[in-house]
Amino acid sequence: MSHGGGGHASELYPEDQVLVVGAILSIVGIYIAHFASQGGYPQISMLLGGLLAAAATVAGANTTRKVAAYGLGTGVPSIGMVSLGMGTISALAGVLLASTLIKNFGLPSEVIYAIPIIVVVVSVVLGYIVGRLTVNPIGMKIPIMVQSMTKLSLMGALSIMGFCVAYAGGFSPDVFINGAVKNGIIGLAFIAAGMAILHPFNACLGPNESHKRTLTLAVACGLLTWFVFSVAKLDVISSIASVILWAVVYRSFVKQSLNDACEVLYTPELPKKEM
Amino acid sequence: MDAVSLILPLAEITVAGAIINASVHFVPVGGAPAAMATSTGVGTELMAAAGMAAQAGISLTNPVHLALIMLSGAVGSMIMLGLTMLIGQLIYVFGVGVVPAADKCDKDPITGDYQKSYITPGTTGHAIPTVCFISGLIGAALGGIGGGLAYIAFKVLGFSSEVAGVIAVGFFFMNAVLASYNIGGTIEGFHDPKFKKIPNGIVASFVASLVTGVIVAGMALGI
Repeated sequence: MSHGGGGHASELYPEDQVLVVGAILSIVGIYIAHFASQGGYPQISMLLGGLLAAAATVAGANTTRKVAAYGLGTGVPSIGMVSLGMGTISALAGVLLASTLIKNFGLPSEVIYAIPIIVVVVSVVLGYIVGRLTVNPIGMKIPIMVQSMTKLSLMGALSIMGFCVAYAGGFSPDVFINGAVKNGIIGLAFIAAGMAILHPFNACLGPNESHKRTLTLAVACGLLTWFVFSVAKLDVISSIASVILWAVVYRSFVKQSLNDACEVLYTPELPKKEM
Repeated sequence: MDAVSLILPLAEITVAGAIINASVHFVPVGGAPAAMATSTGVGTELMAAAGMAAQAGISLTNPVHLALIMLSGAVGSMIMLGLTMLIGQLIYVFGVGVVPAADKCDKDPITGDYQKSYITPGTTGHAIPTVCFISGLIGAALGGIGGGLAYIAFKVLGFSSEVAGVIAVGFFFMNAVLASYNIGGTIEGFHDPKFKKIPNGIVASFVASLVTGVIVAGMALGI
């Protein structure tokens, strides 16, 4: 699994900055989607909620880049899938634990508004424990494994919550479960957000990997996930906005890639006989 | 639900996680492909179980019904992985044009065929020799049983079918990737020396599943 990388990748923005910005933007997006839908403006739910949820996948892709640069190799898709696996459990835990707290521990029903915070806490705890397990019985030798697993679990949970809440229109248990879980949209969020987190570094890894190019692809993947959800919700304005933004960002990525390549060859058809 | 009736589902979830971790070690290639292949089988089983529960009224206290759910998970996973390996084998043999040969053993433990002389120089084995295929089927069966056991535990806790299914898939991926990191790359099957690392993986999944079980039990209290 190691390709002799062994070192940390050079970065344009410090990883923690991207993480904090991504987390705050996606939490704000979750609250906007919830209150906009409950308040009578359901159109804003996918428009702003979907856009801000993409911030969580960008931050997740950035963390994947940092931890995978130590030499995960074929483990890069796995780390995307584990981040979403833990994220699904944390997202559902956050939504359902709120009703546990209200029923069994007698907390006031305003706890419903703290559901995103509960999701954050559960995902951080679960990610930390799984991270410690990958170091201790399993024996992975990456120095920043524990903190990266924690951050990835957090970003996975926030991406799932972000996109599902944008689709369903709220994070209270009945709205979320009926709007996003019972019709299977959470499965779409699992795979789409998982691919958005694991694909950017997986595609860009290699010698001369540049942070700017990887981040551009990460933003493009996040916007594409937003497009998928807008189409699923049949929301015309979000679909048009997301596909235009995606085209702009992806064009920039392709231009950067062609610029950075030493030479771009178009391989002709192989000759039919021995030369 | 009181504390005592939560203990059995908690134990089931922990054991299910350990079984899922063990199952990934059996599948040739291992890692994310194994997780994705067996999880599709588990998904089929979840659909079957939900369908059966809706029509025939599966009762969760009847051990025969529970065995049926786990068996359907095992069979679904085995079909999924068997077909994947078969199609891959056809492509290797008739497309790429190589002979199935395993690198990690001198003689195939099941058929007794010698492997060394058939390995292409510069590779570490190719296609799917018999031992890898059988090992893959065993792994898929275990994965289906583990996934089914976790799904049963979630249903007993009181979640609806869809929520239980979603939690089961996330739980399955978490354990399968822990196994994949334990393997560290690729594995050929139960004859591979890397298979001896399986206790580390089982312990790690045990702990992770226990923590997840506690969280899920907490969620169940609020239904």
